[in-house]
Amino acid sequence: MQLKDSNSKPSSSNAVDTIQGWLVNQIAKQLGINAQTIKITEPLTRYGLDSIDSVTIVGELEDWLDAELPPTLLWDYPTIEKASQYLVNEVGVTPAETATQATEVTTKPQEAPKEKAWGGLWNKISGS
Amino acid sequence: MQPLKQYWIAEALEKDLGDPTNPDSVMSFKQVIDLDEKEEFPHEIINWLYNWKLQHYYIPAECGGEFTSFDEFIAFVRVLSRRDQTSAIAFTTMFWSYLTWMAGTDEQKRTLASFMKDANGAMCLAYSEKAHGSDLLASDVRAKKVPGGYILNGEKWPINRATISGVTFVLAKTDEAGGARSLSLFMVEKSKIDPANYTHLPKIYTHGIRGSDMSGIRFENCFIPESMRLGAEGVGLELALKGFQITRALCAAFSQGAADTALRTTLKFALGRQLYGKTVFDMPQPKRTLTDAFLDILICDCATIGVARGFNTMPEQISVWSAVVKYFVTTTLETVVQNVSVVLGSRFYMREEHDWGIFQKVLRDNAIISMFDGSTVVNLHALLLQLRQLTKSRVKNAGRNQDTLQARLQATFDLTQPLPAFDGKKLELVNRGGDDVLQGLELALTSLSDLQTDSHLNSEVLQQIIQLLQMVQEELKTLDHQITESTFQFGHEQAPEVFDIAKQYCVLHAASSCVYMWLYNRHHLGDFFASGEWLALSLRKLLLTFRPAKALPTRLSDEAVSQELVRLYNHNRMFSIVPFQLAQPQQEEITTDATQRLQLQA
Repeated sequence: MQLKDSNSKPSSSNAVDTIQGWLVNQIAKQLGINAQTIKITEPLTRYGLDSIDSVTIVGELEDWLDAELPPTLLWDYPTIEKASQYLVNEVGVTPAETATQATEVTTKPQEAPKEKAWGGLWNKISGS
Repeated sequence: MQPLKQYWIAEALEKDLGDPTNPDSVMSFKQVIDLDEKEEFPHEIINWLYNWKLQHYYIPAECGGEFTSFDEFIAFVRVLSRRDQTSAIAFTTMFWSYLTWMAGTDEQKRTLASFMKDANGAMCLAYSEKAHGSDLLASDVRAKKVPGGYILNGEKWPINRATISGVTFVLAKTDEAGGARSLSLFMVEKSKIDPANYTHLPKIYTHGIRGSDMSGIRFENCFIPESMRLGAEGVGLELALKGFQITRALCAAFSQGAADTALRTTLKFALGRQLYGKTVFDMPQPKRTLTDAFLDILICDCATIGVARGFNTMPEQISVWSAVVKYFVTTTLETVVQNVSVVLGSRFYMREEHDWGIFQKVLRDNAIISMFDGSTVVNLHALLLQLRQLTKSRVKNAGRNQDTLQARLQATFDLTQPLPAFDGKKLELVNRGGDDVLQGLELALTSLSDLQTDSHLNSEVLQQIIQLLQMVQEELKTLDHQITESTFQFGHEQAPEVFDIAKQYCVLHAASSCVYMWLYNRHHLGDFFASGEWLALSLRKLLLTFRPAKALPTRLSDEAVSQELVRLYNHNRMFSIVPFQLAQPQQEEITTDATQRLQLQA
């Protein structure tokens, strides 16, 4: 009989960290800003994410977490910190990825994309 | 009688309103032009509609009214709109009542239903502010919480029916901290607030719908009781966006009515006017223009009816569907009105010539439809933000649950199928589960392939439908690929190219809607509909958005379509896939009967 190893699963604080890291990374990438400048305690609207964006980003989060979430999640929990805590403590989601990724994000912020609108979609289509 | 029950109200209303070319009819072209020239609100017409009890059809059955389905609703709004968009829009602001039907308490629903039925009451929507355009969250109107209610301050403008209405739906800021939960929605009953604390703003003089009560409202320290708040504090934006999903889709009905009159009045001219020894209609170019306009109307009809029924069958997908028709149908039909104006020649610009000058009024009035309740840009933006998720769903759902998808499509597009009751609580801010209409392309292609054994069908027509739908599928794959290869960008500075993709998505959605409409209704919408030339021609027309004409199959003869157009005109029937009966002039009724008898004898 195998003993349950509590360390084999990420603890709830690890899960919260992982989601926070994902959100920081995602929002930095999509808004074209440096991840290090994003504070998890600030309302997301401060970074230019408007109400409709907040609804559509939940779709990406749903895909990543493989869970159905309320579309108004980021309206009701408007900071990265609050949203992540809600997801772990109330909804009970556990991200499949390890917490180390979140650390990487904060230590190695991704370059902000230079092209506007869907990462230079037009360049890809036209081949220019 | 029309076998489809959802058209009975439209036909009954038509009959009672009478022939619009008879000056003595209610809402006759002469009457509505006279009112428009004087820029007068159509009080008499609106009263007639109340006396007819049309307002009951704006109130859901469970709230004590007669409203049951959106496809019934759009049919009778087309009837109003083909006569006069000013009155149609003025009367239909009543549909904002849906905010209350969706979110109100039982008491609020009772109050509003009684106000509409017993007091001939109307309502208006106070969302816009002069300084903020479509940016609802920037609201300067404040509702400050006080014991027992709120103190309302600020100005809303422009508002249709701001002055001549008894209930104003006001979106106001209840949380100074801002954010998506900072707005609340209020159903302000003017009779219950102090007249000293609000004023109506002066009439705005507009390009079209000149008789409209277009104005605004200003609140100054106006106390409104807590019972006037709809839903919880902070749900204002959510309710507003869901309410728009409903009204945006229904706006298409205004455009359909306008396009019908633009085409009908032009056709009347083309059939009667002699030039170079023949009628204008006998000349190939004008005939092609009018036939193409008819095709556009049929395409839009398929898209609009599909979405209207979709409210009942797939409410969770309406955030996408509604944006599709609000963009596609209104702009396509605006173009139709422009296109047929060429056939009318200089007369389209004259304010008295030809049917009392109704054409120039339609042209002016109709121009607002693609703008209000969310402009073209707002709708395309709402759609483009969802495209990535739609593509992901399409990939994820490919080939899965084909039977249930088939059943959902049939429930939506088969006009003889009973609809489940609409539940407003099932509307979602963003699409859930993908877009069935485009998900079902593979199924549609299989169904089309199965029809190859049907000896009643012209095989050339069917082959072309199949070939064109395969092209629709290829274009969708290309579009999905472009979307997948891109990274998502938020905000309001999206590239024009992304707007183009959203527009293309709408065209593919409309093309697929036409195919389902045909597949599921071939046996009950008459011979013209069943034979399918209109569908092949429509698909080819839509694909010109993506490919040059020479890359498409040769255009089939459109003779059947132009003949059907003239037949519907001669028999006073709506230009529609369900050509329901329009009001007939009494004398002409006798002539038509005689013609039918002659045809039968021949």
